[in-house]
Parts: sequence; structure tokens; C-alpha cells
Amino acid sequence: MLTYALRRTLISIPIIILATFLTFGIISISGDPLQEIRQLPNITQEQIDNVRESRGLDDPVTVQYLRWVENIAQGSFGEYMISPRAIWPDIQRVLGNTMQLVIAAEIIAFVLAVFLGVMSAKRQYSLFDYTTTTISFIGYSFPSFLFALFLQVAVVQIFVRTGVRIFPIGNLSSANPGTGLSFLIDRIWHLILPMASLAIFSVASYSRYMRASMLEVINSDYVRTARAKGLPERTITTRHAMRNALIPTLTVAALSFGTLLGGTIIIETVFGLDGMGRYFFQQLGRRDPYPLMAWLTIVAIVIVIFNLIADLLYGYLDPRIRYD
Amino acid sequence: MTEPLLSIRDLVTEFSTPDGVVHAVDGVSYDVFPGETVGVVGESGSGKSVTVMSILRLIPEPPGRIARGEIMLEGRNLLELDDDELRAVRGKDIAMVFQDPMTSLNPVLTVGSQIAEAITTHDSKVNDAEARRRTVELLELVGVPNAAARFGQYPHEYSGGMRQRAMIAMAIANQPKILIADEPTTALDVTIQAQVLNVLAKAQKETNAGTILITHDLGVIAEMADRVVVMYGGRVVETGTVDDIFHNPTHPYTLGLLSSLPRSDRQLERLEPIPGQPPSLINLPKGCAFHPRCRMSAGRDVCRTEVPELVQLGEGRASACHFHEELPEEIARIEAAMGLEFGADEQEGE
Repeated sequence: MLTYALRRTLISIPIIILATFLTFGIISISGDPLQEIRQLPNITQEQIDNVRESRGLDDPVTVQYLRWVENIAQGSFGEYMISPRAIWPDIQRVLGNTMQLVIAAEIIAFVLAVFLGVMSAKRQYSLFDYTTTTISFIGYSFPSFLFALFLQVAVVQIFVRTGVRIFPIGNLSSANPGTGLSFLIDRIWHLILPMASLAIFSVASYSRYMRASMLEVINSDYVRTARAKGLPERTITTRHAMRNALIPTLTVAALSFGTLLGGTIIIETVFGLDGMGRYFFQQLGRRDPYPLMAWLTIVAIVIVIFNLIADLLYGYLDPRIRYD
Repeated sequence: MTEPLLSIRDLVTEFSTPDGVVHAVDGVSYDVFPGETVGVVGESGSGKSVTVMSILRLIPEPPGRIARGEIMLEGRNLLELDDDELRAVRGKDIAMVFQDPMTSLNPVLTVGSQIAEAITTHDSKVNDAEARRRTVELLELVGVPNAAARFGQYPHEYSGGMRQRAMIAMAIANQPKILIADEPTTALDVTIQAQVLNVLAKAQKETNAGTILITHDLGVIAEMADRVVVMYGGRVVETGTVDDIFHNPTHPYTLGLLSSLPRSDRQLERLEPIPGQPPSLINLPKGCAFHPRCRMSAGRDVCRTEVPELVQLGEGRASACHFHEELPEEIARIEAAMGLEFGADEQEGE
């Protein structure tokens, strides 16, 4: 298992190098990195040329790429074009915030989806099944930013009419969040609406997979064997059926983790959260290649890590898969 | 004879399909006495599996439904039990070995734990260590080598024959009164089949369970069964002892099965297959379901219009043919044509 994890990590290194090189190339040819500087008032052509010179923007892309890699090796992800300020501290801050949001959303989505999928399959064609199916398709087809907006409007309306502030509609923390447990509670309170907006698509899609694989499993021969043994229905569902049905659902959930990260671009912008998504959205408008590259690299690494976790869980759930 | 242990009476199991209701089992009755082995033969779709699945109510509902009948086990009608009572019977009084050991064991649980849970679910006083000890004993009994080590292995680490042995161990874990084996050797290599049948016979001797052995292999019947139930088109068409069935069949379908059997004691020019196809249950022929394939019917009207009743011909002997008294002539005709004698095959030598 450990060897496998190590081997997988080593294999992902060339993947990440290739991915970063391609994105670096695409970003370099797609815009003027000095656009923001040119728009500064009182800027002279001489100053612009100085920046161009000092940043080596006239060098070939490969040389620029290697210089960028050298910066990463030094742990700084380079500096912003417009001011000599390191990128890494910013990334560090927004990455932490986003991970809180995304991991919480993924876990809640997965648990809820497994529950809904199992219940729908156990009561196929019941009112519960039809209701869940309908809501899933709505969740599946509804744009998340619109859902987020609806939630915000609803919360504001409740506040206007009753004076009760159920949830905040923006920011990660209150002005005075306190420390320790009170900080944690305040953070959770702030994250509930963004989490719900982010998770709804995942709940909808994972629960469909769970329902389908559960239906397949509960009609399988080994579930019939379990029933013929005289096991209670609950044991049949949890011990014999669910464990098998989780395997494909888990794969889908892990592979969709990237989608969830992409979803933060919209959700964090709508809720004004200081996270990776909003950071990306802000930097995109400035044409500065270095923060964008930092973002893309981090996201690539996170996705690789989650795929690895999924593979290891897969091996844990299914004994037929052995990583030796 | 003593009282039957298990009595199936007038069982009707139907399935709703897009083409209408199918009577997979249509008025089936047979008994199982303590310690005996009843062989149930018939082609695919004859209702032999659905009958035994109905005993433990393992028919998926919907689309299946047990419409009518009684299944009496020691004075209790199994079809009237509530869920908890039924659960207490499943795997305890009546246990089952399924056809395909590849898919009948859960791939993500160890073989040992799947057998052990059959013990613990019916006896909460048994702790894990005790259940494990008994499971290892069971695995040894059914001939799984190195049983203690194999307890913790998964089904994919077992061969097909070993898996079926494990299924048999699971079935006899609670000393069942009735053991049902639904085509236990069909999915296995020919070389393994005999071994698994021996294990099954040993397991039966050990538990003295009344056994229902479903198969389409008359060789297996000859070797294992005491009495035989022949099914066709969802009905019982003939019952009798193994000797009766092999020497003096009283139904043309049974006779057809026997004459289509390859024989090792004679060099035959060709086998005598039953003409035609097994009937579709959706569209069963009117009258006797076998009449379109029957040589003896010869276009007689009663075969096409009236469903023959299962008529008792003696102790445990019954036939559902309008013209069962004509069978001896037909047997003589075929014996002359094929140059052999029914029942005089190698079964005696086994």
C-alpha cells in the first residue's frame, strides 16, 4: 500500500510538470502581462521597458518557464508583476479558507448522497424515490450561482421581515469572531450557505450514482445469499449491499473533486469569501501570469492528491484490488 | 411412511411481465421426508428453481408473487410467517446452496466471516471466537484444506469448487432440517462436480437433513436422489423413486429425457433428442403443456384441450399424462429402436 502510494506520487510529478508547462505556454501567448502596468497613470515607456527587462519577458517561453520553476523550488511562486510582493503568502491564506469550504461540502455531499441513494434504491418507485429523483434533477440542472443568489435573497427577506439574521450572506467570519470554539462556530455559521450552494450539484449527482449501484447490488446473488442466511434487513443493507455499492460512487465523488474546486470560483465570488476561487477570478482580470500559474499548480496538486486518496480508499473497500 | 418434513401443496408463483402474468409455478405439490434426497429435474423454465425460492420467499417481489398454496414445515405454513419468524427459519431450519458460487458469495467480505455470521445471526450467545472455531470446523468438514488460514481469505482467492464447498459449509452451519441445493454443480468444471456432490452427500449425512436437489443432470439424480420429481412448464409431471423413474417412466417427457441421455455402456448411432423447444411460459400450449413435443399424443384431442391431472399410481408414484398406461408400449418401442434397456445403465455400478 505504502509502495503504491509512493509510486503514484512519483508518477504524478511528470504529470504536474507537463500540465504547468502547457498552461504556462497558453497563458504567455494569450495576453499582455504588462497590461495592468500600462494602465497606471504617469507611467513612462522607460519604466515599462525596465519591468520588461527585469522580468525577462522577452526571453523565450521555455526560459521563462524554467525561471518560474526555479522560483517554486525556492518556495515563493514568484512575485506579482505590479509590485515586488511574494505570491505564496496570499495563496497560503486563500488555500486554507477554500479547503475548509470544499472538504466540508464534499463530505456533507457524499454522506447525504449515500443516504438518499440507499433509501431511494430500497424503496424504488415509492413517493420518496420519485421526490428524491425530481429534486436531484432540479439540483443537477440548476446553476449554482442562481441557487446561491436565491439563498441570499431568502435570508435577506427573512431578516427584513422578522429581524432575525439566520445566516450571514457574505464573508468568512464576523468582525469579532473570538478565538477557539467560538471562532469555529462563527466560521461554520458563515460557511453554511456557500457550502449548501456548492454541495447541491454534488449531492444530486452522487446520489444518482449511489441509487443506481445500490439497485444493482440489492438484486445480486450474494445479497440473496445473505437473505437466505436469515440476516436482518439492516445488516443486509449496510454490511452486504452498501459496501459494494459505495465503490463506484466513491470513484465518481473523488473524480468530481476538481469540479467542486472549479465551483468555488463562482460561489466564493457570490458570497465574497477570501478563497482560491475568488482569488483566481480577481487575478484573471489583471493578466498577470504568475498568480494564475500559482493557482493552477496548487489546484493540479490538490486534484492529484484527492485521486490518490480515492485510489487508496478503493483498495480498502474492494479486497480484489491490491496495490503491491 | 412417516410424516413429511416439508410439504408443498398447490403452490402457484407468478411474475408480472410486460407481456402479462406468467405462472412460473402452477399448482406444484411435493413432499420431503426426513433424511431423504428428493431430486427435482426439468429443463430451464420448468419452475424447479422458482419453487424452492418460494419456500424461503426469496422471489423478488415485485415482479414476483406467491399467489396460492401452502408450504408446511412441521405443521407451520411458511407462507403465513411474518418477517421475523421467516428470518428465524431462513438459514436455520431451511438452508440453501445456490447455483453459481462465483456470484453467491460477497466479494468484499472474507469467506470465513460470511459463514460465521450465519451462525451468530441465529444464536446470539455465540461469541466471535466460538463462531470462528466452528466455521473452521465446518470448512474442514467440507474439505477446504488449511481451513484456519483460509478463514480470512476473500472469495476471489478461492477456486470455484472451494467456493461451492464454502457455500455448503455455510448452509449446514446451523444443522438445517431441510437443505436445498439449486443446481449446485452446474457452474463447476466436470472434474470438480463429483467432488462437490460427495461433499454435499457427506454434509447431508452429517446433518440428516431432508434434501431437495435441483438439477437438469439425470446422472446426478441417479447418483444422489432417493425420489425424483419431474417438472415441465411449471407443473409436476411425474414423481417416483429413482428406480421407478429410470426403469418404468410413466410420462413421455421423462421418457424423452432418458432417451436423450448419452450412455457409456452402449455405442449409440445417435441420441434421441426431444423434438421442439421448451415452451415459453408466457404462451404455454393449451391442454398438456408437453403435447406439441410428445410422440405419444399423436394429435389426440384430449391432449390439446385438457390439462392432465397428476394421478396417483401407487405409493409416492404419480403421473400427469392422459395416456400413462400406454407408456410400457412406448418404452418397448424405443428400446427396440435404440437397442438398449432403460435403467440398465452404469448407475448400479457407482
